[in-house]
Parts: sequence; C-alpha cells; structure tokens
Amino acid sequence: MKNLLKVLITLSFIGSSLIASNSIKAMKIPGNVSDIGPTSKAWLSTSYQDVIVYPQTTIKLNDLDANAMNADNSAKKLRVKAITDGKNISFLIKWKDESKSIQEGYSTTSYGDGFAVQFPTSYKDSKKLPYIGMGSVGRSVVVHLQKATGFTYEPNGNNDVYHQVNENNQNAFHEDIQKYRIKVKETAISDYQRVFISEGFRSMTQIKDGSESSKMQMVYKNGYWKGSLSLPLKSSYLNLNKGAFPIAFAIWDGDKKNRDGLKLLSSWIGVKVVGKSGGEKLIDLLNEKSKGDVNNGEKLALENCAACHRYKNVNMAPDFMAPNLSNIGGYSTKEYLMESIVEPSAVVVAGYNRNAHKNFTWYDVDEKGIRTSTMPSYEWLDEKSRNDLVVYLQSLKAEVK
Amino acid sequence: MSQRQLAMVMDLNKCIGCQTCTVSCKTQWTNRNGREYMYWNNVETYPGVGYPKKWQELGGGFDSAGDLQPGRVPSIEGNYGVPWDYNHDELASGAEFKPNIEPTWGPNWDEDEGAGDFPQDNYFFYIPRICNHCTNPGCLSACPRDAIFKRDQDGVVLVDLDRCQGYRYCIAGCPYKKIYFNPKISKSEKCILCFPRVEQGLPPACAQQCVGRIRFVGFLDDEEGQVHKLVHKYKVALPLRSDKGTEPNVYYVPPTEAPPKFDAHGKIIEGSNRIPTEELEKLFGSEVHQAIKTVKTEMQKRKDTGKSELMDLLIAYNHEDMFRLDSGYYKEYAKKHSLTPKKLLDERYSAGKNSNTMKFFMPSNAKGGDS
Repeated sequence: MKNLLKVLITLSFIGSSLIASNSIKAMKIPGNVSDIGPTSKAWLSTSYQDVIVYPQTTIKLNDLDANAMNADNSAKKLRVKAITDGKNISFLIKWKDESKSIQEGYSTTSYGDGFAVQFPTSYKDSKKLPYIGMGSVGRSVVVHLQKATGFTYEPNGNNDVYHQVNENNQNAFHEDIQKYRIKVKETAISDYQRVFISEGFRSMTQIKDGSESSKMQMVYKNGYWKGSLSLPLKSSYLNLNKGAFPIAFAIWDGDKKNRDGLKLLSSWIGVKVVGKSGGEKLIDLLNEKSKGDVNNGEKLALENCAACHRYKNVNMAPDFMAPNLSNIGGYSTKEYLMESIVEPSAVVVAGYNRNAHKNFTWYDVDEKGIRTSTMPSYEWLDEKSRNDLVVYLQSLKAEVK
Repeated sequence: MSQRQLAMVMDLNKCIGCQTCTVSCKTQWTNRNGREYMYWNNVETYPGVGYPKKWQELGGGFDSAGDLQPGRVPSIEGNYGVPWDYNHDELASGAEFKPNIEPTWGPNWDEDEGAGDFPQDNYFFYIPRICNHCTNPGCLSACPRDAIFKRDQDGVVLVDLDRCQGYRYCIAGCPYKKIYFNPKISKSEKCILCFPRVEQGLPPACAQQCVGRIRFVGFLDDEEGQVHKLVHKYKVALPLRSDKGTEPNVYYVPPTEAPPKFDAHGKIIEGSNRIPTEELEKLFGSEVHQAIKTVKTEMQKRKDTGKSELMDLLIAYNHEDMFRLDSGYYKEYAKKHSLTPKKLLDERYSAGKNSNTMKFFMPSNAKGGDS
C-alpha cells in the first residue's frame, strides 16, 4: 500500500508537469468587437478556457504588511474567452475575488483590484519570447492595465495649477466655492486604464500618445470580477493578425495590498484564431508537454541551483542572491527555462534596484548599459540532465486552492 | 552618487518650534489637492512620537550589510491624522463653531509634552525635519519603477511623476517617512529642496523664512561655506539616525544648551543638563559626545578670548553667508548639459566654490573709497 502511494505520488508529480496550458481559442464573430464590455451578449457565442495565474515570487518587495498578507498565496484559476471580428480582438477574463477593493478616498493604504494583459511585440521566434515579467531587453511587450480606482487627477493636469490648489487656499466662499468644486471635479479621471511598453521589469513606460488604443472595463458581481479588453489586431506596436499569438495575464487583489510585483501572473499562453491558418508551431511549443525524470531534476537543482537560488523549502542561498524559483514553473515556458540554463544572459531579470542589495548583484552592466548575468552557463550539463532539470523547474509552482 | 551635494544644517539650539518653516513650505508647495496631510517640512517635539506617528519604528533604510529593509506604509487615519477644518462659513448664520470631523490625531498632537517630571527634570526640544536628500536613498532603492532619481548637479532626490505609478514601496523604504502618497493623483511626492528656487538664487523657503536663523544651506564640498565648516571642519552638525544607512544630507547641531535640573527642594543642581545625552545619542549617534564637547569648548573660548569662528557661524550674522547656492556652478552645469540657465532672482546668495560674486552690502566697518 505504502509503495503504491509512493508510485501514485510520483506519478502525480510527473503528471503535474505534464499538464500544459491549453491555448485560448478566439472565435470569429460577425459585427464589431472593438467596443464590447464584459457584460456584452457577444460573449455567449464562445466558451471559457482556464488559465492559471501564480503568485509572483521571483523578487520580494519591501512592504512588511503586504508581504505578510501574501506569504501563503496559492495559484488561482482565471476563466478566459476571446472573440474577434477580423479587425479587432476582445478578451473576457473572469476571476473569483471575495473582496471588491477600489483604490479611493483620502487614504494612503487603499489599493484597487486590477488586471493586465500582456502581448509580445514580436513572436517571430517562438522559442525566444520576451521574459514573462514585463519583457526583456530586445524583446519588448505591450501591457494593457486596468485598475479599480475612484477619481484620480493628473499631476499638473493641462497645466491648470489654479484648480489643483486646495479649496481652503481659494478666496472663494458660498456659491463660488461650489463652482470651484465642480470645476475641480471636471478635471478628474474616472477610469484608470493604462497601456505600457516595456523591455523588462523597471523599464515599463506608459504610452501616452494614444498610439496604442484599447478599451478595458471591469465589473464586479457575486464575488467575481469580469474584465474585458478590446484592441485592434494591428497597431503601431502589436501585430496579432496571425493564426496564433502569445498572451499573458496578471491580476491584483487590492484587499491584500497587491500592486506592482505583488500579483498573480500566468505564463505565456497561446491564442489560436479559429479559421486562420498559421501559428501551429507556436501553439505546439506553448502546449508542449515536458517529459523527464523529475526526481533526477530535483537532485540536479539541489546540486547546481540551490547555492544561489531559493525555491520552495530549499532556502540555503542567501536572500536576494538570485531570482527566487518557487513559482518559476507557473509562469515560465519550457523554452525560457532551457534558454536560461544554457545562456543565462539571454534574458536578464532586472530584479531589485542594484543599490537595494548591493552585495548580491544579479548582473553586471557595462558602459553601454548591456547587462550580463552573474550566473554561469550550465551548457556543460548533458541533454538528459538539462531536460530533467527543466521538468523539475516546471513542477515548482503553487497549487490552485 | 551625484557630482556635488547640496546640504542643510539646522542648529537645534535655536529652534523655537514656531513652524514658520512648515507654513512657508505649505504655502509654497503643499497647498494643492491631495497634499493636505503632507508636511514636506514638519517640526516635531522630541521626545515624542513624531510625524507620522512612530516614524522611527516603521522600518526602511539599510542594515549594516547594505540590504534594504522592509518597512510599513503609514496610514492617514493611524499615523498622519486626518486633516480637519472648521465651519467658518456657517458662523455668520449662527452655527456652532465645530470641526468637520472629530480630530483624534494630527501633526504636533503631542507638541511640547516631552519627558521627565516637572519641575525637576522635564525637558523637550524641537526637530524640524525635511527630506534628507540622502546619498543612498532608501526610497530610490525601493522603487520598482525607477521613478525616483538623485539629481546629478546637486544631489536633490526627486520623483519623476511620469514614471511613478503610486505603488508606495518608496514610503516603506524611507526610514524617515519623508515621502508621501498623494491619494488624489495616486503618486508619491516629497520635498524637492526648493530646487526651482535654488536654481534662481533663492534658498529653500523653509530656510529663508526661519525666524531663528537655524538653517544653513550650501554645498558640502564648498570649503568656504558655513555648511562645510559646521559638518566637516568642526564636526558639530550630525546626520539624523545615520544608523539607517541612507547617508542623509541634512545635518543637525544637537541641542547642547538646556537649563539645569532641580533637586527635590527646587534647588538648581549645578552642572546638570536636562537633555539626557543618551537620548541625543539615539538620534545622532556616538559622535554627539564630541560635537557637544566642541560646542562647549568653543563657547568657553569665546567667553575667555572673545574669539571663536564656530560661535560666529552659529550666531548666523548674515543670510548671505548662511546660504551659498553657488549660482555660477548651476550656470556652468546648465551650459555643459545644454540646459537653459535660470535667470537669478536674487544675487545675494549666489556665492560658492565656483561663483565669483560681489557683496551687495558693505560691512559697516568697511571704508569706502581709497582715502
């Protein structure tokens, strides 16, 4: 019996690494999808695909209270739909969140729920997709972000300083102060929707010139958020007008002080546009099931990785020495893991500010700003070992609860 | 590291806690929406909980190994206090004068309380606090968006509001809690050391308005400057909580002068000092002993001989000597980096290492002409 249990556990361990993310099917529908919200009837024509998002644990942020609240985060299941009209594409994302959190009011400790959808600007080489954490140098991504906020204001909005001055500093009373308040309110922004271009964590920069148009919305009902994103298949940064393209999702729980890196994120997921040819190779790669000896991989990780990386219960390495791998299997593709083992400088995770933990620099920077990882290449491992290691790394991820 | 560092020295012996600095900063910068609770400059009573409440216990800064320490983001209700106002408008129609919310906490709630037993050994002193424009800023290291930068020309630490996304990790990272979240614009804001004024030859508003003339402003490497002399030559001006590892650039002359204690019969205990040196050591480190000694020695020297450069500095005769903003340097820097040099609004404070300036006012004992 004991032996059988062991076999079963081993099998399920291998099994878990075999479960590959299935691709999302984008159905073509008649009409225009550029302007549909999460409650549109258009969504009825297609069914949900599950996408798992995992807690970001590569780096640890420095908010004590937030870290305590998120220490035991489990993975979460998102349900995703996609439809296209041939010119635009829309995504519907539904996830459970017991607490509706909106960043609002006169508070320094209020955080909003939110979601983001990430696309690579190029996926020609499907083996070298951008790093999942907001891209990497030479492999940029576009991130569409929607957060649940109340009214916010632009700093120096339209250079109208007068209407930013506190009303107590105005020489206005009675009706005049009422008028002033109305004027101030008119300058408010009610929708916190932003688009970013990014070549890696830290480099994310807002696209403000309107060249990347999209429409995002989020509505809360019965303990679930539903968020939608509509965007053109082709824009100045993105070309999604192919048979298939990669996509990634992230969600934030404001109630747990989630923001920035405190989030749950998915790996790259394939979107297959139904009825459009091409992209099979990409879909196959993203769905590829890794096979190998996970126990040997674990042994190899202990021998080769654990001196610098922390993961799961293996915490021999000093904190901040290298990216924490506890959820690496959740948000990495097989190709990325393989590339990082063989060629660590191909994607250098920008991680912490270099001043924050100066004894543990993850990379060196030359005078041209080019980053070289301090990790040596493990090309010398034979192919089987490398593969086993990847299979083990893919098994490192939190469970869905 | 910036090329040069603009710094401030505050002489705590002379601070009377009048909050003129606070008000000058409020009217200059922090009267905008969302900044109601922000005090880029505040003056707090020590011993006391400070502003925000218990800021010294909220984490941030670096440990001895140089690792950024996690910290907490203070809340308006719990740590800053919700700003309140009164119904002035309704008074004319006979309403009762009352606040719009029940005030329960705010800056200086514990003003002048201090510690000890009255009248034997009670004591307190004031600490005015602005952003320390640290050489190794905790806020900068904590920002995951690289939105905070230290200006190359003078080391002023600023937030790029275009990059800031309001994540508030900077607040957790700052051991002084001198960076604030503006809930109206959802971005972080902080003291800018009045750099737009400095570039035009005006000292920071808090320093210029200070009625006790406790604030000196200048470049640390300007050997002729009073800031340099107080910090490096006499070593009587010390950084606040330098154990937090951020290398702050606001320096304090510790309060050396306090009345003596009384014994149980109300008699003066000769040679006693109400301010315990251990308390000062907590704030300014062990260097405080030497600093106190130097001030005392120089004071005695002045009494004995009538001469002491340090006493002359601390008396703060002229604003022109207290503020050396080195306008020539800013001008050169602007030229070198293809920026537009700012036109000086005031030439009195433009002296410095790289600036040749003429004195506006001749000393009274100077002779005119060549007679």
